Amino acid sequence: MLRIDASPTHKHGSFNLRPGKPLPFGATISPGGGVNFSIYSRNATSCELVLFRKREPEPYATIPFPDEFRIGNVFTMVVFDLDFENIEYGYRMDGPYNPDEGHWFDRTRILMDPYAKVIGGRDVWGEEPDWDNIYPHRARIFFDDFVWEDDHPPEIPLEDLIIYEMHVRGFTRHPSSGVKYPGTFTGIREKIDYLKELGVNCVELLPIHEFDEFENSRPSPSNGERLMNYWGYSNVGFFAPKAGYAASGKFGMQVDELKALVKELHKNGIEVILDVVFNHTAEGNEQGPYISYRGIDNKTYYMLTPEGYYYNFSGCGNTLNCNNPIVRNMILDCLRTWAADYHIDGFRFDLAAILGRDQNGAPMNSPPLLETLAFDPILGKCKLIAEAWDAGGLYQVGSFPSWGRWAEWNGKYRDDLRRFLKGDSGIVDAIMQRLQGSPDLYQMRGTNASINFITAHDGFTLMDMFSYNEKHNEANGEDNNDGENDNSSWNCGWEGLTDETEINRLRIKQVKNTVSMQLVSHGTPMILSGDEMGRTQLGNNNAYCQDNEISWINWELLDTNAEIFRFYKNMIAFRTAHPVLRGQIHFQGKDYVGSGYPDISWHGAKAWEVDHSDDRPIIAFLLCGLHAREGTEKDNYIYVAMNMHWDTHVFELPQLPEGLQWHVFANTDMQPPGDISEVGSETRVEDESKFIVGSRSVVILVGK
Amino acid sequence: MEIKIDNQDCVTVARISGSLDANTVGNAQDMIMPLITANCLLVLDMGQCDYVSSAGLRLLLMVAKGFKTIEGGRWCLASVSEEIMDVMEMTGFVQFFKTLDTVENAMEAVQKGE
Repeated sequence: MLRIDASPTHKHGSFNLRPGKPLPFGATISPGGGVNFSIYSRNATSCELVLFRKREPEPYATIPFPDEFRIGNVFTMVVFDLDFENIEYGYRMDGPYNPDEGHWFDRTRILMDPYAKVIGGRDVWGEEPDWDNIYPHRARIFFDDFVWEDDHPPEIPLEDLIIYEMHVRGFTRHPSSGVKYPGTFTGIREKIDYLKELGVNCVELLPIHEFDEFENSRPSPSNGERLMNYWGYSNVGFFAPKAGYAASGKFGMQVDELKALVKELHKNGIEVILDVVFNHTAEGNEQGPYISYRGIDNKTYYMLTPEGYYYNFSGCGNTLNCNNPIVRNMILDCLRTWAADYHIDGFRFDLAAILGRDQNGAPMNSPPLLETLAFDPILGKCKLIAEAWDAGGLYQVGSFPSWGRWAEWNGKYRDDLRRFLKGDSGIVDAIMQRLQGSPDLYQMRGTNASINFITAHDGFTLMDMFSYNEKHNEANGEDNNDGENDNSSWNCGWEGLTDETEINRLRIKQVKNTVSMQLVSHGTPMILSGDEMGRTQLGNNNAYCQDNEISWINWELLDTNAEIFRFYKNMIAFRTAHPVLRGQIHFQGKDYVGSGYPDISWHGAKAWEVDHSDDRPIIAFLLCGLHAREGTEKDNYIYVAMNMHWDTHVFELPQLPEGLQWHVFANTDMQPPGDISEVGSETRVEDESKFIVGSRSVVILVGK
Repeated sequence: MEIKIDNQDCVTVARISGSLDANTVGNAQDMIMPLITANCLLVLDMGQCDYVSSAGLRLLLMVAKGFKTIEGGRWCLASVSEEIMDVMEMTGFVQFFKTLDTVENAMEAVQKGE
């Protein structure tokens, strides 16, 4: 059928035009032919569409939006006969320039579409850009028709999820990765078998929205190597995947490549969570560049002080105005795009407390943005995970507005476990809470609210946590002033690398102690990529700018630290095999199925007794297998003894129901292979009445 | 972009030369899609094709889908350059295509139904 809207109504030079549709925002290939351009600005007085042939320095055309094409605060038009695969587009906006009032219009600047689905300009990671480019980050047009076949997000319940936090480039960039396309989405695809062998069922990718790895790049004072924006917590655009993470980025096919990765991960039962950064943009403060938002409608997109300066709750120069209705809708549109077009399974929100601040920066009681995301139908099955604090001092761990939907990075879990693991006294009561999914923080929200992590990209790796008392960030070029000072780390007797066998053994044991405790905790565990092979960053606890061996995973560590990998793998298998470790509801500390045992009971050196006055970091718990999943599943009894004291302690074992015996699954005091067994091959204990737990050791027994 | 169509031993061989991109897929589509008829045997010779864009890959995908809608019929890509093969791998398109190193092997494959 012929469509009337396939015919132009206006002309500009040789371009055929007609009035566009205001929604959706962005550039859309219109069913009637032509490309529909639509962009919002409340305060612009006029707008021009600027067209470039791909990668050419100067535009080949500028088309003003006729006045009659503007609908409300939206400039929109259809342009016909565009070679959409080979062009790039931007906008020029005219309007007031008056920073005191919050207006930064400059009609000479070419601005990127905030809704750009593909962004060119940094097509190949680290390729030196043309610094004189008048339009460095360029919006492109993409046809969204990926063949998903029968792909469907796995929708794994949070209590069954094991999250693996990883950096797309760092995962396979090191030559030892052995992949054909190192440092890319395809590189991850080549390593799926490894992820499956490890046993994780979810990858959480550090930011993969388009960012500029050259932002604030500079030579390192220690070795002259170029420091880059390696982590990417600084968005250029929210809707476009990072081209430099795609092996096909130089062909502009990053969208297909990322989708192919998601599809293949799903096929293998692995979910994908994206780390999303809605708290600020790459435009920085008053001295920052014009990329997009600042020149399109500064007052809409940024939180401004009454004097017109940028609020800096992000610590990165500006703060996205998240609870402005326009920005709120943009964030919603963005997440919907990632969920619907890319089949993404969940999101982790960087400095999410900012998303709960009003337009003047004050924390709100029921932030509309957070509520909208909690109830959005398209995001209905997506995991929503908050980093529940910001750089402006708002700390909401335990109190982040959740509507039963939001989970949190449990910062208290991290802090308390670290202190316990290094042997601090007076921490046992807190540890009892953390192991149970932190009911003191999330009583009404259940275990799904707690993402249990001990290490993440930001901070020491796990091996470094037991190798350094202090951070060593000199390579970052900020005189070691950057990065967290309060790490609760312990170097086990020597600062940094050493040949001392005893110290190295203790470090490995501490790594095993950590993952043992983490994987028997209620809540959702998140492990940091590389910790499973004992990766070190040589004490750098803020490697945001290190695009080199400090950050990249060296796969040779799999051989060097084979026992750590085996321990992780078997612990993950253990958690997966035992539903009693994965309840959605907090333990009640009582017997509600008639087994004669409470769902969880606490023990010390004496069975059934916790000596709260005892300053030693010693605790044990027993899970009754008949209470697994609130009594709906039958599992073994599991007993975990944790002795973080420097001395060996004898733990009296609680008696099992008649006919069952204790078997040893893990004992971190033992050398491999005796440190951990395969699931189901546990050997019987010698003495059912007691177990000698070595200094700084964890023992896991199975009653069956 | 140019397409030459030959019939050899009951196999239609379409030789694509130049770039298969948004500018040329329209023409390519007009020439290739009508070749997909019941029980047809088709080889797309990519030996002279130096570039396949996103739109070009989509045309190849339409060919693959076209073959799913007809009775019998087989097709195969031949002599795909390493670079184009890489792009098909990275973007996952490769799973929808059968590719062989030479036109002769591709012809034999579609004839035998291997």
